[in-house]
Amino acid sequence: MTDITKTGLVTRRRVLQGASALGLGLAMTGVAAPALRAQGGRPIRFLNCETGRDTLAFFDRIKAEYEAQTGVEVVVDSVPLGEAFTKITNGIRSGTPYDIANVGFVGHVLLLADEGHIVPLNELTDPYEWGNNILFPVDGKVYWYPFDYNLSVIYYRKDLYEKHGLTVPDTWDGFVANCEATVDGRQKGCLFPIGSNGATNWMSFAFMWAEGVELFDDAWNVVLDNETMKPKAAAYLDFMERLYPTMPPGAIQADYATVLSNIVGGTIAHGPYAGRVLEAAERDNPAVAEQLDIMPYMDQSGQRKAVSHGYDGWVVLNTDNTGRAMDFMRWLTTDRLIDFLHTAPVHFQPTRLDIYDNDQWRSNPLISKYSGQIETMRRMVSDDSMLVTSIDTQGPHPDTRPGKVFEAFVMPEMLQDKLIRGLSSAEAVDRAAARMRELVG
Amino acid sequence: MTRWMLPTFLAVGAIATLVLIVGPALYAVSLSFYHMTSLTSEPVFVGLAKYADVLSRAEFWNALVNGIVYAGVSIVLQVVLGIGFALILHQPFRGRALVRGLAFLPYLLPTVIAVLTFKWMVDGSLGIVTILMDDLGLPPIYWFETESAAMWSVILISVWLWTPFVTTTFLAALQTVPSQLYEAARVDGAGPVRRFFHVTLPVLRPILTVIILLRGVWMFNKFDVIWLTTGGGPIGATEHLPILSYRTAFALFDIGAGAAIATISFLFLSLAVFLYFRAFPMEDDA
Amino acid sequence: MTTGSTGRRSPFASAAIYLAAAAIALYSAFPIYWMISSSLRPTQEMLTAPSLVPSRLTLQYYYSLLAQTDYPQQFLNSLVVALATVAITMVLSVMIAYGVTRQRIRGKKAIVAGMLYAYMFPPLLLAIPLYTMFALVGLNDTLLSLVISHLTMTMPLGVWFLWGFFKAMPFELEEAAMVDGCTRLGAFLRVVLPLSVPGLVTVAIFAFLLSWTDYTFALVMIGSDANKTVPLGLASMIGAFDLRWGDIMAGSTLIALPLFAAFVMLSRYFVQGLTAGAVKG
Repeated sequence: MTDITKTGLVTRRRVLQGASALGLGLAMTGVAAPALRAQGGRPIRFLNCETGRDTLAFFDRIKAEYEAQTGVEVVVDSVPLGEAFTKITNGIRSGTPYDIANVGFVGHVLLLADEGHIVPLNELTDPYEWGNNILFPVDGKVYWYPFDYNLSVIYYRKDLYEKHGLTVPDTWDGFVANCEATVDGRQKGCLFPIGSNGATNWMSFAFMWAEGVELFDDAWNVVLDNETMKPKAAAYLDFMERLYPTMPPGAIQADYATVLSNIVGGTIAHGPYAGRVLEAAERDNPAVAEQLDIMPYMDQSGQRKAVSHGYDGWVVLNTDNTGRAMDFMRWLTTDRLIDFLHTAPVHFQPTRLDIYDNDQWRSNPLISKYSGQIETMRRMVSDDSMLVTSIDTQGPHPDTRPGKVFEAFVMPEMLQDKLIRGLSSAEAVDRAAARMRELVG
Repeated sequence: MTRWMLPTFLAVGAIATLVLIVGPALYAVSLSFYHMTSLTSEPVFVGLAKYADVLSRAEFWNALVNGIVYAGVSIVLQVVLGIGFALILHQPFRGRALVRGLAFLPYLLPTVIAVLTFKWMVDGSLGIVTILMDDLGLPPIYWFETESAAMWSVILISVWLWTPFVTTTFLAALQTVPSQLYEAARVDGAGPVRRFFHVTLPVLRPILTVIILLRGVWMFNKFDVIWLTTGGGPIGATEHLPILSYRTAFALFDIGAGAAIATISFLFLSLAVFLYFRAFPMEDDA
Repeated sequence: MTTGSTGRRSPFASAAIYLAAAAIALYSAFPIYWMISSSLRPTQEMLTAPSLVPSRLTLQYYYSLLAQTDYPQQFLNSLVVALATVAITMVLSVMIAYGVTRQRIRGKKAIVAGMLYAYMFPPLLLAIPLYTMFALVGLNDTLLSLVISHLTMTMPLGVWFLWGFFKAMPFELEEAAMVDGCTRLGAFLRVVLPLSVPGLVTVAIFAFLLSWTDYTFALVMIGSDANKTVPLGLASMIGAFDLRWGDIMAGSTLIALPLFAAFVMLSRYFVQGLTAGAVKG
């Protein structure tokens, strides 16, 4: 959540020396600063943020393989995504940089690229055809190797649809009606997180994107409250207010995992998430797994569909080890990419379009079992009528500004202003727009 | 050797205290006079500007009020429940030792565990509380979803965790009340309620004064229950000074303002303790 | 209700007391029961219709927690930090408390009062400067930084508690030993310390408890997975992408059980410590 900053304060040393003299006494307790790693011929340092068990086991395996093949050692550190960027910048500052790192924000990629810390990866990305809105090139240079889409889509229960005679809705009214129809005691209609967390940012706003709401204009002015956007954003809040009574208690606390366990446990008829739902349902509740299908988020009037992306990718840092790191990346992204994707087969939705037709990839039992859903997910990233966006990729071109809006939870707070504090939709939108101006102005 | 032992002990103690407590506290105060735009920027001396800034923010006053409500309500409940429990557990009955042991258990639990277990029990779909209420035909409780419900939830967890402190101390103190006093009161025809207010309470007043002081101070500083439960939400409804200070220093990177909030919070607490001592003087046997 | 053990009770009063005692037991222990039973309940049952008593027990969460996660490492970290904190707390607080009680110095009251005062510091008032200091000397994100942070809570506690303990101990005992030819240090080691064992055990228990259960300092000081303690590790499981209530409850049970066991074996020290108003919570 907020444990983003564990950065050293080295440059403050001079000014605060006097006050901290006492603190320096702590150093006498006998433990010195960690030794700096020797330079030259050093191992490749790889920062991984995919902490699923199978993925961790995969990295253990391939680093041994790579060392056996090439004699080059690879050291993999695994941290939650929320801590990754701080790790990367700390490493750069302290002179022990990572050579390859997992990044989950295009804003962070751009920051690193701007400061010259990462190198273009066009030699790795150019040979392939990619899905929509994923490479984010800057002047033709691609600075990351995105490995999954992590699209947030809406899961729904086919059995409940059949039982109540429902069809997949195209409009907000239809969606609300379906959620209301499926409420039955503790069985609820849907769950969309509304708390100030990453899950809400990722899962709850694609309805608004489908409706055509944008946060910025071409000159990075905040337009959420202008005359075109404001009615749409307000209509979205009204729509969420209608959904809210069909949700179980706890939407304010709901995180990724809460939504997941509700879908898998079968306690809600609709819920947003990416492919991990199917993997978890197979593991914990196979009866529900059989009954899950997916749909995109829809707009008010049935004109447009959207999904929200939560992509991940690797960057290669500009270090004395870059050459060897690129060799490793080439190996990883050609020889071992399918194996990597198979560690979360449905969840790691491929970014490269060729993979969807790759026989080795398709041979995975879960991928073949859920080929229908996967075909839908493929269309979502290759069909241009489908909007693929997210808070942090708003604006005329990739930039760090929408990232700030994301990290300050402006949009979740707009939802809370409406649903919890009971402000009018227009007021909630105004407050959100004001907050955004404060952040990026 | 003999001559130097005590001074050596004291010197070690003085150094440890300086390094561990006095130094950091002074350093915290000094940090509150500086501004850093980011963690890597040079600090700029700004005097009292951080204090002015903090005191002018509505969220600071909101946090102060929330902190007083949270600490106040949870202490009252802890003390009332704790005394009630102690009075019952003071009665002889079969299995008393076991119940006394069970009543102490919550105190041993790390906050994290209590919070996680609470969240699991009240989970909106799978929680046992939700399910039992539904089975009884009662409407579900939205534990965290209104501003007052969120506050009550964090108070509830805190009361559950720390009532045993009051129960156990009060129970031990009850055993020191001379039974002649009760006999005398009984002879005078005092009923149980009067005996409590006229015998038990006056005898136990000193220990009660200490309990309320200690619990008050700790509840006012308590960070983890709220942080782990609501993170200060929804929309700041449970944000108190420790949370605001943490968020300011470690999420918004404004170390100076974070330190200023912690300092103000400490000054406020010192003032409250001072007034408390004035109102309820404690005998000092040192 | 405030009778001692002497009064006769009507059957009605008796029933009321048993009812109240049962309510206290249920209120205090049910969440703990639910934690333990959830850690033994098969996932599918947990997701569908949890009954009050699991229909079948499983150890799968314990297995996966111990075999497939960082939990053993976190448990070890917690243990190392807590034991180091206890050891250093004991040495420092014995020295300070003994020095203050036996040495004639001016302002000894101020020293003890200062300790009590330090005990009141908001954790963040110390955590913010300690964190920046550790960053300056390159100690940030280490277990040692956590031990030092915990000392800021445990040392004032230890001094305060032992001060009361030493003060109550008759000086004549040491004098007698010194007359018999012991040095002061000898008298301290051979006479005072052995007699102080109950006080020392109490301080050790509460220092352990404070360190073992701490979340706040760990949150500020520790960043990397490798150095996380159990409370921090458990808290981050809930923000993870995949929710495993069973794993979380198993992890909680494993960290709570040693505390319960210690309580059963040492309960009189707990009560002693509490009644001395000794522990922060």
